Amino acid sequence: MALLRAAEETTVREWFGKLGRPVELFVALGPEETPATGAGDVDFGAEMVRVCEGLAELGELVTCRVEDEPEGFARFPSVSVRPHGRDVGVRYDGLPWGHELASLVGGVVEAGRLEPSLRPESVAALEELDRDLTLDVFVTPT
Amino acid sequence: MLLAYRCALASERVTAAAIEANEFPQLAQELEVWAVPRIVVDGEPRWDGSVPEAEFLRRILAAA
Repeated sequence: MALLRAAEETTVREWFGKLGRPVELFVALGPEETPATGAGDVDFGAEMVRVCEGLAELGELVTCRVEDEPEGFARFPSVSVRPHGRDVGVRYDGLPWGHELASLVGGVVEAGRLEPSLRPESVAALEELDRDLTLDVFVTPT
Repeated sequence: MLLAYRCALASERVTAAAIEANEFPQLAQELEVWAVPRIVVDGEPRWDGSVPEAEFLRRILAAA
């Protein structure tokens, strides 16, 4: 099954074609928690690889790398979105399917920007942070 | 989700993860995820739903 519809693929190719820097999708595979009922027999790890390799085919600056149980990952599968291959703390834990694929695509586009896309006052406010901050956003595919 | 990613990309102090609730039901139950998006800051559930950028920043910085 195709990752995206034809029109969507064209749009994503255009976005990925405008990236200002390389973005690596670092896929971490490992033991998976038993998902909620309704997930069927989905191989989440294999699907994650398929999704990320599929996205990497849509842009010259987008690459995909897969590792089994790398250090620093609490949940599997997970994908770390890495500008220039550097871990900057942007992740998607679980399979980004359904409309949540847009979140991962958006993460790639954002990571490919040379400058933050937040408003200047937001960037200034974040620069005032004097300790680390962990943001987790729970999502569902529907 | 993109706002959280933008914050992480703008600040080395910030990390941001989307977590697919159906794949991690135990964690979702612990954090009482009944609606999405649910925003959790430093392990503490804070609010549900999308908010504009200025409000998002105000809320996460207030929790910091």
